[in-house]
Amino acid sequence: MTHRLSRRSLVGGASALGAGAALSYRLGAFAQATPAATPAVDADFLAASDELIATLQGQSGKKLRILSAVVGGKTPEEDALFAQEIQRLTNIEIDLVHPTADYGQKMLADLAAGVQYDLIYTNKDTQDVLVDQEVLTDLTDRIANSAILQNPTVIPTAEWDMLKYDGDKFYSVFQKFEGSRMLTVRQDWLDQLGIEAPTTLDDVYTTMVAFRDQDPAGNGAGVTLGLSTAGTYDIQPFMSSEGILPGYVDVDGKRTIPYATEAAIPVYEWLAKLYAEGLYDPNFATATTADMRNLFMTNKVGFVTYWDTWVGLFNNTMLTEDPDTSFVAKGIAACAGPDGKVILNRGQPSVWTIPVNAADPDTAFQFIEWWNTFPGITVGSLGILDNDYTVDADGNYALTELGKEHGMDHGDPTPYNSNWVNPIGELPGLKEAQEITKAHGYLAVAGPQWSPDVTPILDEFIIKAILGDLSPADAVSSMNEALLGADLIDG
Amino acid sequence: MFRSTLRQMMQHKALYAMMLPVIAYFAIFVYYPLYEGAIASFQEFKLLGARPYVGWENYETVWNDPRFWQVLRNTLIIGGGILVLGFLPPIIIAVALNELRLMLAKKFTQTVVYLPHLFSWVVVGGMWIYLLSPSGGLVNELLNLIDVGPVRFLTNATWARVMMIVLPIWKDAGYAAIIYLASITAISPSIYEAARIDGASRFQQVRQITIPLLAPTMKVVFMLNILGLLRIFDQIYVMQNGVVKRQVDVLMTYVYDMGIQKYEVGYASAVSMLVLLATLGMTAVVWTLTGFGKDNT
Repeated sequence: MTHRLSRRSLVGGASALGAGAALSYRLGAFAQATPAATPAVDADFLAASDELIATLQGQSGKKLRILSAVVGGKTPEEDALFAQEIQRLTNIEIDLVHPTADYGQKMLADLAAGVQYDLIYTNKDTQDVLVDQEVLTDLTDRIANSAILQNPTVIPTAEWDMLKYDGDKFYSVFQKFEGSRMLTVRQDWLDQLGIEAPTTLDDVYTTMVAFRDQDPAGNGAGVTLGLSTAGTYDIQPFMSSEGILPGYVDVDGKRTIPYATEAAIPVYEWLAKLYAEGLYDPNFATATTADMRNLFMTNKVGFVTYWDTWVGLFNNTMLTEDPDTSFVAKGIAACAGPDGKVILNRGQPSVWTIPVNAADPDTAFQFIEWWNTFPGITVGSLGILDNDYTVDADGNYALTELGKEHGMDHGDPTPYNSNWVNPIGELPGLKEAQEITKAHGYLAVAGPQWSPDVTPILDEFIIKAILGDLSPADAVSSMNEALLGADLIDG
Repeated sequence: MFRSTLRQMMQHKALYAMMLPVIAYFAIFVYYPLYEGAIASFQEFKLLGARPYVGWENYETVWNDPRFWQVLRNTLIIGGGILVLGFLPPIIIAVALNELRLMLAKKFTQTVVYLPHLFSWVVVGGMWIYLLSPSGGLVNELLNLIDVGPVRFLTNATWARVMMIVLPIWKDAGYAAIIYLASITAISPSIYEAARIDGASRFQQVRQITIPLLAPTMKVVFMLNILGLLRIFDQIYVMQNGVVKRQVDVLMTYVYDMGIQKYEVGYASAVSMLVLLATLGMTAVVWTLTGFGKDNT
């Protein structure tokens, strides 16, 4: 998932000196970008970053083997260039293993076969399994002693709670800022109809009806859909209207799943109503996220629920195709619950880990720290100098044609580091969407059983409730029965 | 006997030497992983570090897991459906193809019928998901013309199972038909000539000559289908969705979930071993019942 923050950046190179940043603008999509104010760079961070980079430059003969799903180039040739770029900036020889598919299988097979990696990219769900299997190095002390990682302007202190294990132990460091999934609307249609962005479930329904009946899309009255999702991915913005949390919730020491409680019935009734009235995509049960995105970008549907990053990507994609397009996607903080709060599903953190059989854990940790410095962020976002972007004599950044295709995403399009400003600019609508994530994102407690065991049960009965095969009350009852039977919740 | 076998092998050592790469391939990529899988099924498998032996614990867990029995039921229903219902169509297609006299038509039809087999299930499954969509899908649009539907082919449990049976039959019927067609073309024309002289109609010739002489080929095809019955995976993995997963999940998708998603490699290996043993058992039974190999030509 890509996600960009507006940050200052330094001139590419080995050094992180200076506080001057130059933003450059290009014709086309990024001409829409908003020049961001340049905040002062935290002095402590700068000092720690300088020290780290000086240390790296003073070392020689260091090698790292990295297994990554998202960090790297877009082709094997670019992976080689990516590795060379990191070597240029860190003096570390990088062997980057970047599978194009079946990352989980690759990681599983390699670890089981005893293949040595110094760094492995993964997400929190998989990390839980790896921690349980004692595969990962305890990084607690290293993190505690890291001037870069402990700096709250680099990684906000509260965020670390997401990675904490029993005994206040840490086995990973954030690889990027993970956003949330939110209700995304066609703002241009709202403007055309003179409607304010909805924040409650009732307002969302009214807006959907307006999209269908008043036809701002020009599809003909009664044709435009109100909502498309990929199965139940992700109905959380609507569950938020009843204050329902995603994932597991501990209630008096018992495992509960709020989606399988009576509190969720009104939301299922509402979704079933959408489906019955033709406002919900009839193919939602078998639709993929690609189908959902395509419907949104081809004016077939007014609302989707998707990643905050995609607000910017939707706008960027449409502007790239047609700079004169009227298409505007906007993320909205909806739907407010009885207490006025909005609860959105935050993505499971993407993390760097060091396996216990790493050949050089010290250098691996140095890399993790470096990843959070300006050169590291630049590589992870903009990409490779003179391949993805160029810097002229005045320090102005510009994306190459290849860089435009890559969308400033080489694994870290959305860094945590608040000191960094993207020198190219922000995608339209992205910053506002990220502010919504910061205000309302909630990280669900899931665990390794969630995807293979819990999700199929929830999906089956929620979709049946929406399709009208079961009443929402019966669906919740059936969910409970199935979850209890499989010992996935406590009675 | 051993000495005479050895002598024979030495006589034709060049030929036997040619088999070595094949044997090495199977040894490295089939039998060694099988051996490791069998070992893993008796271990508390960890990705790194010690993997203590736990005896039959994984197998006991499988035996007591209600989800295992559910997926076994699904596998027998879907696999059995493919086996039984998919037996006749390739024969009918092959016999019909054999009746075509115009060579161009015969080759064209043969190609068209065989094509689906060449495509990956990723392509075929994705295509059918769209074709069967309740809104905008071709099948439902056609049904709409006669005021039927929309039918939720992939989101209704019963229909989803039917589709998981029918679509693999459609995809692979051409492949089996080609095997049957090859056998039909090997039948001596003099037999048909003799029957024609005796006054047999074309239908009688097919019924009394073609079908009986296809019996050995039928055994081969049936045996191949039995070998694959418990190992169906592709179409389920591609076309399943949340609402019907519990009704169409099969043993191999279950193994995938447990082994790859949950990293419970020991448990997944135990299930895989049970599938292997069941497949061997079924193959042995079918082998005996059909007299396979006795008059196989």
